[in-house]
Amino acid sequence: MVQVTIDPLSRIEGHYRINTEVDEDGVITDAQSNALLFRGFEKFLLNQDPRDAALLTQRICGVCPVCHSIAAANALDELFGVIEEVPKDALVMRNIHQGFNFIASHAAHIYILWGPDLANPAYHNILMQYGEMGNAVWGELAGRFMPIVNQFNGIRYPAGSSYLGAIREQRHMHDAISLVAGKMPHSVLQHVGGVVYSPTIADINELVAYVEKTAEFVEAFTLGVSPDTWIENTYKASSPQKAVNFVLERLQELLDNSLVSNDFSHSSGWGDVPLFAAFGSELVGEQLLGLPISMKMDRAGVYPDPDKIGFLSYGVFFKPENGDGYDPTSPADERVIPSGYMNGNLELEEFDYRIISESITHSFYIDEEEDRSPWNGVTVPEGDPDKIDYTKGSESRYSWAKAPNYGGIPCEVGPLARLMIMGEPLTTGLVQTFQENGYSPVNNYTRMIARMQEVLVVMSELMKWILQDLEPDAKVAVHTDLSMAKDSTGMGLWEAPRGALGHWIATGSDSMVTLYQAVVPSTWNLAPRNSQGIPGPVEQALIGTKISAAENALGVDYANPLGILHTGRSYDPCLACAVHTIDRTGKHPGHTIRVL
Amino acid sequence: MKMDRRTFIKAVGVLGASLFLQTYKSDLAKALELSETKVLWFHGVECTGCSISMLDGGTPDIVELLQYLNLNLLYQEVLMMQQGIFVDGKPANTSDLNSELLLDEILENEKDYVFISEGGVPNGPDGTGKYLVLGGRTYKEIYEKAAKSASVIIAIGQCATNSGVNAAKSDVKELLDHRGIAFTMEDSSKGIIDLLGIDKPVININGCPAHPDWVFLTISAVVLGKIKVPDDLPYVLDRWNRPKVFFPPDHVIHDNCPRRGYYDRGELDLTVGGPNCLWKLGCKGPYTHADCATRHWNGHQSFCPQAGSPCIGCVQPGFPDSTRPFFVESEDAGIVGTHLDTVAGVAIGGALLAAGAHAIRRTVLKKPVDKEESAEENISEKTGGEK
Repeated sequence: MVQVTIDPLSRIEGHYRINTEVDEDGVITDAQSNALLFRGFEKFLLNQDPRDAALLTQRICGVCPVCHSIAAANALDELFGVIEEVPKDALVMRNIHQGFNFIASHAAHIYILWGPDLANPAYHNILMQYGEMGNAVWGELAGRFMPIVNQFNGIRYPAGSSYLGAIREQRHMHDAISLVAGKMPHSVLQHVGGVVYSPTIADINELVAYVEKTAEFVEAFTLGVSPDTWIENTYKASSPQKAVNFVLERLQELLDNSLVSNDFSHSSGWGDVPLFAAFGSELVGEQLLGLPISMKMDRAGVYPDPDKIGFLSYGVFFKPENGDGYDPTSPADERVIPSGYMNGNLELEEFDYRIISESITHSFYIDEEEDRSPWNGVTVPEGDPDKIDYTKGSESRYSWAKAPNYGGIPCEVGPLARLMIMGEPLTTGLVQTFQENGYSPVNNYTRMIARMQEVLVVMSELMKWILQDLEPDAKVAVHTDLSMAKDSTGMGLWEAPRGALGHWIATGSDSMVTLYQAVVPSTWNLAPRNSQGIPGPVEQALIGTKISAAENALGVDYANPLGILHTGRSYDPCLACAVHTIDRTGKHPGHTIRVL
Repeated sequence: MKMDRRTFIKAVGVLGASLFLQTYKSDLAKALELSETKVLWFHGVECTGCSISMLDGGTPDIVELLQYLNLNLLYQEVLMMQQGIFVDGKPANTSDLNSELLLDEILENEKDYVFISEGGVPNGPDGTGKYLVLGGRTYKEIYEKAAKSASVIIAIGQCATNSGVNAAKSDVKELLDHRGIAFTMEDSSKGIIDLLGIDKPVININGCPAHPDWVFLTISAVVLGKIKVPDDLPYVLDRWNRPKVFFPPDHVIHDNCPRRGYYDRGELDLTVGGPNCLWKLGCKGPYTHADCATRHWNGHQSFCPQAGSPCIGCVQPGFPDSTRPFFVESEDAGIVGTHLDTVAGVAIGGALLAAGAHAIRRTVLKKPVDKEESAEENISEKTGGEK
């Protein structure tokens, strides 16, 4: 048995370690997911003005600050008792603010954080076995995805064209946010009762221009077809099968054109998504399209036991047609991307926010209770330095992340969970296709394709919100004053780009904060074992899969564990999000869960 | 290694002109002859927002910066291929793929690099630094080694400069003991380099996040020799080690705010979403030293008060404790004279007095109407009294 450890896993937000036990066949037999940093966050909101929360909590994460500011603003709407009056245009502005950040955050993950692993030397060695075609594909991977800091045999290569293009696009998206939200990261739009800025007609035109500009990048680099064509035939397809057929036909066409010339360049129509869609998957690439080689990403990142995993979405993006106000419990028909829970067998169940809890059995916290609801959360960090040790294995305490559960079950959150729960045609069709062909439907490949697809889904909705739903110079906030927050509670359920995000807040008789808690996406995905000993999603997804590139295609290489990297990164880890502190009950009265 | 002229011209051709070129037109010839400058970029206790902000930079952008100044970025967690790889507890592979080996090579062989510090350094619990452990070593330990061989430390963002939100008031603050590089909150004796006894020049680029122009133009000035380190630092930095050009001691955001005219006419918003001055909503613009109102953010197009939000003073030492509650007028919060910069306090006093006089006669207050009278009284009282 060999111990293979990634520490730190770079190219993410924050500081993260994955430790694995690997057998002589290169199969991972045990895994621990370790969040390495303790930051302390919600504690400094205690005894403070609750209105500061929307601005302060976004400082949890610089990659997706917007979702925290909106989750906090949603919680404050309820806390101040104005949730039914929040103006429709404020809700549309929240959608637009979040929409731009979804695209920027996904672009950053796909291209800057995850993409460079496609230019790992292991793929050079694998592809080179396949002559001209392999050579051409390797050239594309390295030429598109090489990061800024790299070296091979001591030589530095220029950063990839798609990589650099994505930096530019992320910048455009942030420029768009800044136009209506002051600056980015840490923009200032969100506030209790609405938003602080009402866009002018000029702003609206400029926002459209930003989306159009990004659409050009998507057409030239990401897709190789216009986003409208793609969306019409996938997101808006009449059936999941039709959506999958569109993509397969498109890939077949590209392949037929390129087989003679071995030209897989952007200019010949091979956008980054088609290139990954064809060569990333054994089923799609080798079996359905007849390619000689693939990266076999559909063989990894799978869950062996459906009883130990679920998929969760809190729902995101208000439906403008519902008018002013919204339901804080986020029932499925309230949001454009709906709330919902899907069990490990991919059966949809009704979402109930009241059965969310967090375990600390394997985390560096001190508490007599192992599981608590967010309303009664306690976090006392381990203060004895000798007890902070990540190396003692699965039975010990080993992470600064807690283990969130939905009815005792760890859940995957993020684009794949959201789009499966939504029934998005391409994602649903793909998942079914994998299932029907004997593959695990949830895997690193479907997880990444869902993230790419979500960029396009959000882009098309974003255009609608800006062009159709947003009124210039509209009323965007209702008046509030601090006294309205006296002895109250509020809950904000929303989605970060990387998954379900909830903020919980309570105040005392002086309207100051008595409890603040955020349960965040990366705590869900990168959780350690829970109190029943069930491994967190990424741990489950690692155990049983192979350590090296393309299912150990070139044998077992413990020193280049690409299998771990792909699976770990497929969740878009964002650790600053996962490590924070909450209220300790000793100082503040226990909280009664309000049944709405 | 000199920058190759042909590569340079080609890069300029491809990337197009930028403000950077305008600013440093006369230095271009010199830039061509620049020797390579090595840059080390670390992430401590932070949210990576400053890295993202640097990727948002446009004048120059981060790639232009690296190319034009012939910078060799040796280590940057977000932008590098490598990660720490251990097999049975021992570092594996080579520095081409293993960031821990890369780091060791750098710490052993390199010196006199520009050390960009993003994020604070944990000192807790009990001075062990174990609240952040990377590759089996505390960040504090790695940081100490890296800082000792740097020629200059450029701390970017509020976490690195002053420990920012990580050191905000809470009941775990002392236990965590997250430190800024040269300051923690407003205390220069609490910075991590002081604690470790490292005597290196530190330039603080404050802000949550730091503005990419502030960072890139500072690096440019240092690399091009426009600012000689350490000789020029006492003249170009303020008492918080911030470049005066971006954080002017004698100017505040309020001076150039596009809503300033409303302030002068006493048209003060009492609820968010309106077009008027945000003073009554707690705007810290009158106390905050930065060029946000003229430089603007993200493509130079807006900044917080322009987009309807009170300035929260995120570039100020002591942020967020010194500037919260964000939505309460500063005098009401009782913080004038305790945390806020006194120079600004004096400067703004006169303006407040003038505005107050106008306000008594001409205040045009927006809804809610019932607040009109008391708000008017407040303004005259405050300006006539304390200042």
